[in-house]
Amino acid sequence: MSIEERLTKVFTTVFDNMSIEISPELTADDVDEWDSLSHINLMIAIELEFGIEFDQSEIQNFANVGELMASIEDKLAKKDR
Amino acid sequence: MNVENIAYACLTRFVENGEGSREALHWVDTDLSEQIYSFEYFDRESSRVAAILKQLGIVPGDTVSIFIPRSPILISAFFGVQKAMGISCILFGTLGEEGLLDRLSNSNAKIVITRKSLLRKITAIKDKLPALQQILTIDHDDHQSDSVLSLRKLMTETDPIFDYPRWVDAETPAFLQYTSGSTGKPKGALHVHGALGDMRQSFRDIMQLEADDLYWCTADPAWITGIVYGILAPFGTGARQVQYSGTYNADNWLKTLETLKVNIWYTAPTALRMLMQEDENKFTQHDFSSLKRMYSVGEPLNPEIYHWGRKVFKVEIYDTWWQSETGSMMIGNHPPMTVKPGSMGKPRAGVEAFICNDDMQLQPDGKQGLLCLRKGWGSMFRTYFHNEAAYSDKFKNSIYITGDLAYRDEEGYFWYVSRADDVINTAGHLVGPFEVESALLEIEEIVDVAVIGADDPLLHKRIIAFVKLRNDQTWSKELELKCRIYVSNKVSTTAIPAEFHVIDSVPKNQSGKILRRVLKAIYEGKDPGDTSTME
Repeated sequence: MSIEERLTKVFTTVFDNMSIEISPELTADDVDEWDSLSHINLMIAIELEFGIEFDQSEIQNFANVGELMASIEDKLAKKDR
Repeated sequence: MNVENIAYACLTRFVENGEGSREALHWVDTDLSEQIYSFEYFDRESSRVAAILKQLGIVPGDTVSIFIPRSPILISAFFGVQKAMGISCILFGTLGEEGLLDRLSNSNAKIVITRKSLLRKITAIKDKLPALQQILTIDHDDHQSDSVLSLRKLMTETDPIFDYPRWVDAETPAFLQYTSGSTGKPKGALHVHGALGDMRQSFRDIMQLEADDLYWCTADPAWITGIVYGILAPFGTGARQVQYSGTYNADNWLKTLETLKVNIWYTAPTALRMLMQEDENKFTQHDFSSLKRMYSVGEPLNPEIYHWGRKVFKVEIYDTWWQSETGSMMIGNHPPMTVKPGSMGKPRAGVEAFICNDDMQLQPDGKQGLLCLRKGWGSMFRTYFHNEAAYSDKFKNSIYITGDLAYRDEEGYFWYVSRADDVINTAGHLVGPFEVESALLEIEEIVDVAVIGADDPLLHKRIIAFVKLRNDQTWSKELELKCRIYVSNKVSTTAIPAEFHVIDSVPKNQSGKILRRVLKAIYEGKDPGDTSTME
């Protein structure tokens, strides 16, 4: 599965919504259940799915899914080195 | 006694007085695009909604639930329900399945107005809602079925004319506001058309807007502050106001304050604490010189936030206190009062507040006790919908027991101490431990659970869950995530525990009641005190 597919799976699980379609432009304002509290769920789920860790400042600073995906790719690349 | 219908007082009156084109709402979208809406616009659109509701069989006293995020159509829908003489019930989009079911079921909602992305939540529970007849979606172009209709389509086909009673009995039900208690399901505080007088008067007394002042209340309309001081009071007094469509966003909020030259800003301590975590440079980049005053509500405005806010925004911050049940601000700070940082302020004119002990005896100044109000103010809730017993429990003769502990100082200022019950105030949302515990108990790995609130520097209180696992289970990050997601999607995002602790047994008394004080003491590293009644 691609990163995007795995991330879609995480989103649908966390927000219990099979119809979520992720895109780089997607933000919390586009998903009804995505607020600062469920955002923590999302971050934990991503950490577990990809075996990576976010630090506190990263967690609060993703402006959209595009930035989130870029960070995941970056962490996975570093992990593989 | 007859009073103006809320919709008449807030909309039609302006149109009839030749002020229909006046700005009622300056809408700011998440991309910072702006749109200005007039009183006439909302009067017209709400008439369309009312006509549609009547056509669909809504009669006076029927409940219409509004399950969409803050938006101009939400406001039109709310006033449309008022014109149709129905009972409006605005619900948070973040509610989970159980939370939504509790509210739609208790309110006997006949129609739910929602949007595509939230529709699945309603269809999932529709079979458990025998009263529900129609679902109207705001963003489908066409009707989806006989029971899922496009409100957008219906509105284009409906004339903006609706004849409705301008004057109604003051006790006519208007809207429901759900709130949580220590035990049991969420309770719907019922408010009436006659409440608007108090809402407007409190707005004038405390906010003290001058002509042309621009006002901004950041509260979501599914919260009592959002509906009373984001819709009813500003519309009812003809105030100019701005609303931002998204949730908290520091950059967009600060830009909105500056570019729109907001004068009076009503927000919450949690929002201020979140702003406080932002880079200091963010604040120096903006000019907040148009701001005259700030107001706060939802949780105590602790002195640290108060002093930070004054330093950054260079204006006075006035804390206010009230509840879903009180319908309007009861205690507050306002000009020309001297603010005592950390104090709730003083009762507003016409409100009698006092401190009692558990035997309802009046307590002297400085002595902590139950914060009580003399029954009878106009915006007081009239009942808990379909739960008269819970309503009666809130009163002792003519005294309303707020559920908060406080004390009054010798100068008449009130000081919040804590909740008197087990309800957890997290980021201004009241969460009943029962709701969280019930959800967690449905998780197969958990055999027992207890939930408490603990002090939190951001949220005021954070939810702590103590769980007893099945013997063959061990705690893991995956199980924690499962619990967090389950509570979020079952109850609400606001009910997600911030921490989980695995314990061998949940402390209970001999009748099986959870001893939360024992858990609190253990959590805080304090002596749990008398545990002789423990099971």
